[in-house]
Amino acid sequence: MSTTSQKHRDFVGEPMGDKPVTALSGIGDTLGRKLEEQGFDKASVVLGQFLLLKKDTDMFSDWLKDASGANSRQADSCAQCLREWCDAFL
Amino acid sequence: MPFEEDPAYLSKSRLKSDLVAHNVALPPAASKKEIYVELHLKHIDQRNAADFSSDEEDLVPDVADREEDPDHTEIPDPRTLTDDELKAALLHHGVKAGPIVGTTRAVYEKKLKKLLQPDESGKVNGAEKAVVYSDSEEEEEEEVEEEEQKADGEEEVEESVCTESEKQTAEQTDLAKQESSQAKLPYQNGSFPYLQCFMPSSRLHARPTSNRESKSKWNSRNAVKSSERSRSRCKEIPVGISRASSVDQHSGLGSGVPSGSQSVMSNGCSSFSSQAFSITQMVKEMESRSLISSSTDADRELNVSNVQEHRSQPIRLQIADRMKNQSVYYTPQDSPHKWGAQPPQEPMKDIIKEIFPETGTTPTGIHATRRRPIKGAAQRPVQYGYPATPVSPATLERREMERRRVPIRIQILVFLIMACILYFIYVNLEDICVVLLDSLNQGFDSEDGYSLQAETEDTQVVSGQD
Repeated sequence: MSTTSQKHRDFVGEPMGDKPVTALSGIGDTLGRKLEEQGFDKASVVLGQFLLLKKDTDMFSDWLKDASGANSRQADSCAQCLREWCDAFL
Repeated sequence: MPFEEDPAYLSKSRLKSDLVAHNVALPPAASKKEIYVELHLKHIDQRNAADFSSDEEDLVPDVADREEDPDHTEIPDPRTLTDDELKAALLHHGVKAGPIVGTTRAVYEKKLKKLLQPDESGKVNGAEKAVVYSDSEEEEEEEVEEEEQKADGEEEVEESVCTESEKQTAEQTDLAKQESSQAKLPYQNGSFPYLQCFMPSSRLHARPTSNRESKSKWNSRNAVKSSERSRSRCKEIPVGISRASSVDQHSGLGSGVPSGSQSVMSNGCSSFSSQAFSITQMVKEMESRSLISSSTDADRELNVSNVQEHRSQPIRLQIADRMKNQSVYYTPQDSPHKWGAQPPQEPMKDIIKEIFPETGTTPTGIHATRRRPIKGAAQRPVQYGYPATPVSPATLERREMERRRVPIRIQILVFLIMACILYFIYVNLEDICVVLLDSLNQGFDSEDGYSLQAETEDTQVVSGQD
């Protein structure tokens, strides 16, 4: 990904703390609601899933597509943002 | 899959066969029906339930089944595996799975499924490939067996139908097998015997032209049989048989069939007509070889009429009729077909040979030649440079700037010139200033002088008036 969104930079720029799941880049209101219905209410819970999948961005985006109905761009953006966050803070 | 009845209502033997069909170990022979029912419920109904649960799962067991053969390992539906088994299965495919928990399981199942599918669609790797091939071969063999079985079955049926089947049945079936295997040769890829039954008619329709072709060919080649031995190999032998058979029919039956004209008459008995037909066919075949020039339209018409007559009756019936008839019947059928099909192949081969003279013949008949190097493909001009790759706007801007910028030498030169001018001005300015100031001062001085003079004059005038 050559360019990153403002949301991406905001998320990667600081510890996520208790940010809602919609703070993840690629996750808007609709996808956020769907994820919250499945118990993924915080960005950190999604991060947990990402870590369970061993930071495999492909599998994570597959999962995200299945779980929330995200399209590939959204899923990739979210995976990228979580990966960069992990690189920065883990 | 048909709807399963309640196993309790099935007979014991049915239960047994079902269990055997599902690879379930049978209980001891003396056991009661309840045990069978129990086993049936346990093994077979469960599977059925699993099969019916969803659409996707209908596909998955298939995949798993196919997978079982090459690997000899049990890899059933990923959904039915435990977490550990799933992990092991993934590891078997070279995927290091993370923790398999509720939220990740679906992902890993999907991954496993994805890994299984490319295998069955044909991974191009040695061992698995070999297995795949052996599989397919088995299938073909099975098909062949099936065909033979079917052929046999048909033979038996026809036997009962046919009125004149007095001859040996054992020989019939034997010959039928031979014949079916012979007939299969041109259609190796699973054409079933019932298809074969109808093939001859279409072949016969094409026959006049093919016959003509063959005749012309014979003309041109001066009827050299030996040169075409490979082609007519399968033909010559049956012809011999048919000759013998015709003699047999003349002498043994004494039914007076030999003349071709009689065969045109519509006969009630199918076997009779088939005899007549086959003999005329054969006779014509022989005529066409010996008397090449005497191929007439009447001949062909006869043929066609024969064909039509033939088509009205089930062909198999005639085949099954008499073992000699079979050979007689099939030889003309097969041979014109081969004649029609093969001659065009001959020049093709020659052309290929002409084009690639250096390629040797391979047992498979597949030639692989080195591709010639392409210079300016498709006669387009050779492109040495490639179109500029897309660049970022920043670099574009910089380039634009660079293009517009004045060369640095000129800049320095201009700068020096400017500096010189300014210095010159500065240096000169002092003088000029002094000069100007002086001049100004002088000017003032002179004005003062004039005014003073004027004043004095005035005073002088005033004093003078006074």
